[in-house]
Amino acid sequence: MNFEMTAEELAVVDSAEQVAREVIQPLAQHYDETESFCLASIRALGDLGCMGINLPEEYGGLGIGSLAMSRVVEAVAGACASTASAMTAHFLATDSILLGGTEQQKQEWLPRAASGELLGAFALTEPAAGSNPADMRSRAAREEGGWRIRGSKHYITNAKEADFIVLYVKTDADAGHKGISAFMVPRGTAGISFSSPEKTMGLRGSTIYELALDCWLPESALLGVEGQGFNTAMAVLDRGRVEVAAMSLGIANAALQASLSWVRERQIGPKPLAAYQGTQWRLADMYAQLESARMLTMKAAARRDSGERFSLDSATAKLVAAECAGFITDAALQLHGGYGYSRDLPLERYVRDARILRIFEGTSEVQKIIISRALLDATR
Amino acid sequence: MKVLACIKRVVDYNVKVRVKADNSGVDLANVKMSMNPFCEIAVEEAVRLKELSIKEGGVATEIVVVCIGPTTAQEQLRTALALGADRAILVESAEDLTSLAVAKLLKAVVDKEQPQLMILGKQAIDSDNNQTGQMLAALTGYGQGTFASKVEVAGDKVVVTREVDGGAQTVSLSLPAIITTDLRLNEPRYASLPNIMKAKKKPLEVLTPEALGVSTASTNKTLKVEAPAARSAGIKVKSVAELVEKLKTEAKVI
Repeated sequence: MNFEMTAEELAVVDSAEQVAREVIQPLAQHYDETESFCLASIRALGDLGCMGINLPEEYGGLGIGSLAMSRVVEAVAGACASTASAMTAHFLATDSILLGGTEQQKQEWLPRAASGELLGAFALTEPAAGSNPADMRSRAAREEGGWRIRGSKHYITNAKEADFIVLYVKTDADAGHKGISAFMVPRGTAGISFSSPEKTMGLRGSTIYELALDCWLPESALLGVEGQGFNTAMAVLDRGRVEVAAMSLGIANAALQASLSWVRERQIGPKPLAAYQGTQWRLADMYAQLESARMLTMKAAARRDSGERFSLDSATAKLVAAECAGFITDAALQLHGGYGYSRDLPLERYVRDARILRIFEGTSEVQKIIISRALLDATR
Repeated sequence: MKVLACIKRVVDYNVKVRVKADNSGVDLANVKMSMNPFCEIAVEEAVRLKELSIKEGGVATEIVVVCIGPTTAQEQLRTALALGADRAILVESAEDLTSLAVAKLLKAVVDKEQPQLMILGKQAIDSDNNQTGQMLAALTGYGQGTFASKVEVAGDKVVVTREVDGGAQTVSLSLPAIITTDLRLNEPRYASLPNIMKAKKKPLEVLTPEALGVSTASTNKTLKVEAPAARSAGIKVKSVAELVEKLKTEAKVI
């Protein structure tokens, strides 16, 4: 398995890290505290040409490998996890078009989405359909010349800010998974109302909404083939889990780096915190977990480019990385004591931001289902 | 007008450097290397002159970026190409060169390329010599505007505002001319990711000092490199009188 990056990919990672550190990180606390959409950070990523790092060159993307892509996501998440969430939600939308769209739809939407001109959103989850999309109740019914869409979606990142939403609904209510289809919903479509942003524990600079749908869409809005929506969404989520794993590494690494400088400065009695064995063992545990998760993420990223099935790899990476981000951010806060609990330092934000990693794009429990199914299938 | 931007590969400014155990120099093993920050300003200024001239009908038409350094300095040249330079020249030398040797090599490149404007960083953050631009001016016989905070090209002249002690000095130089950049000249842009990918397709020529007919033999030798002495702990004084006494007798500042 090849973990090498090209000279250009290394330079891409380097430039993204610089922008993350110098432009995005200084805004992170502001967006968290004001619970407002991280617009300036997303614009900075658009200017950098970062919004198409998941796409091939033929559709205006950067054409880099998933290894380099995941390093960019990690850098952005380490600076501001909200921004990384808004960016990766955009990737779920554009991946949906890439994997499920017709050639014409790809040409129409992807180059402008890759350039940062258009922002995307991915609408799959419903109030009563989370881990099992087949439970979804939103419907599309054929009407003359198009489709009538009725239903609701919730926890949709970027929904109100987005220029287009990739919407997953049932075109055949009785066909289970096979009845799900995806639609392109451009901004300004009549008959969609947005809730005010949901109040969340973390990722407060990345706004999420509930959508009430009663709208008409033309025939051409159907993304690709009718009934293929579930397969597209699952393939998109397989890809997306590599990005969530990378986000986890970014937040966890930021917490570890903050801890490393803190324990050298903080004096407890005659010695710095770093001189106590309890601290040293904790730091070693944090690092060991981070690096284990990193290797799994790199493996899933490399496999993602190989063309082979990688559900098992991406689910394992997502599970381990998200869990390790929970452990590391908590340990980092503990090392900072009362200062870590204060909102003056980012440690408590890391803890809040990391919590969703074990829930979205498939909970840790869903990852375990995917992993065990793959294992049992392979040994049948 | 052809502009030659000159860059150096140095230890990244975020890195905390360590001196080698034998005091022969700074340890470069596994250390992040970048373009010297003053050189980034030089490249940015060249790119702005070209962007300006696209709007105003042709002042700077081509930017050639040159670096004297090891094979790995191609990374920094590619960065300059991503920032907007048109083509790159690496004069490959693994040696640690003196400012004069670098200036002689640049003079050979100038003879070959015949640029109208040469822009360099005022100094490199590793050796902090602040000599190469001035030496290049002496070798070529061209005018020099060092420590530039503003550059305006008009006809066959370039007007340079210089950062000098206690104020600014404005000089007018006939082209060809040499400029060295100060911090306030501009704020360099970030290399966009698509431009980084496109930079690999731009031409990069590799030359050697031998091919340019330049001897880089040095009359200088670095004897020793040492880390700054660690700051010793302070002391607490018991009274103002004792403080004044120590300021007088030990610190000798009053």
